Amino acid sequence: MAVDTWDGLTGHDPWEGLTGHDRHAACLVAARAGNRKALDVLVADLTPLVWHVTRSQGLDKVHAEDVVQTVWLALLRHLDRLQQPKALAAWLIVTARREAQRAKTTGFDRETPVAAEDLVDIPAQVDGPEQHALRDDRDRRLWAAFKQLTDRCQKLLTLTVLSGRAQYDAVAEALEMPRGSIGPTRGRCLTSLRELLDSEGGPQ
Amino acid sequence: MSTADGQHEFDEAGVDMDNLTEQDLLLLAELDVLFDKVDPVPADLVERVQFAIALEDLDVEVARWERAEELAGVRGAGPNTVTFTVEDLTIMVSFAPAGAGYRFDGWLVPGGPHTVEVRVAGHSSTTAEADEGGRFAVDDVPKGTTQLVVHLANGTGSRPRTIVTPTLML
Repeated sequence: MAVDTWDGLTGHDPWEGLTGHDRHAACLVAARAGNRKALDVLVADLTPLVWHVTRSQGLDKVHAEDVVQTVWLALLRHLDRLQQPKALAAWLIVTARREAQRAKTTGFDRETPVAAEDLVDIPAQVDGPEQHALRDDRDRRLWAAFKQLTDRCQKLLTLTVLSGRAQYDAVAEALEMPRGSIGPTRGRCLTSLRELLDSEGGPQ
Repeated sequence: MSTADGQHEFDEAGVDMDNLTEQDLLLLAELDVLFDKVDPVPADLVERVQFAIALEDLDVEVARWERAEELAGVRGAGPNTVTFTVEDLTIMVSFAPAGAGYRFDGWLVPGGPHTVEVRVAGHSSTTAEADEGGRFAVDDVPKGTTQLVVHLANGTGSRPRTIVTPTLML
């Protein structure tokens, strides 16, 4: 009924024409009023965020798919508790990370998990699917350089990118780093990445 | 849970992006595009999530999938048995090909006359009542993206509870 009321009053979806943070805010408000379509829009927009956060925790694809579903299902009863729309992305990031850790610690070791790193560390001469995706030489070199960064740097930069995507920054929270140390560490990570990328045209 | 609920903590954890140079931001933007190329979201995942959350009642608890070997004591249950758990409830389901689809035989622990709903994308859902021991059976489950919804039989005065699982691909 809330759906009908809302659509009936405005004649269009409240998030129509909006982007980024404003769009998610409008969707969240509508979803809390019972608009199911708004939930679907959030799922379509933000599943890549949840996916990459989950994968950055080292889960293989099969387990990551379970975790992504679990995160969205868990959101349902939290809808009303998220007072500010910007808390949504932060909630998704933290919950994805927690659920991924949980999946990793509950017997998942027997399945010989394939870490995200292994999936993409395919030598260039092997014609793997990941390499097909990286047609562009620049992309391939950037990715190779990125994978040479420390694990810490990779996670920090990944979360920086994803948080920027969601226009909300929960990096410090997710990495449990003191706020003041994020900036300098990230600066060093980016410098390392640039140096790796520039060195001799980058690794193969 | 409390951490995830309070946006104040996130506000405080907010990281200022101001000290990033334009060069830094460009490199981060490149990485952003690259992540989707290198590790794209599985093609049907968004659709599966949308199906999973298209529930009548949104006040649901999520049962997590325990992959085959993960529970001590159910070894040998066979590859066609899946187990989901949430706090105080375990849902075990085995499925066998039957007709054009599957037959489900399940067990809820602890038992009780709970109602089990089997949702399959593109089909109307089927319900079955579990017996006092928690056993239930559902015939003729069509193939497809499948989700279990368990409506717990509540004692007098207690709040009704609904448990949902992630989707299975059958």
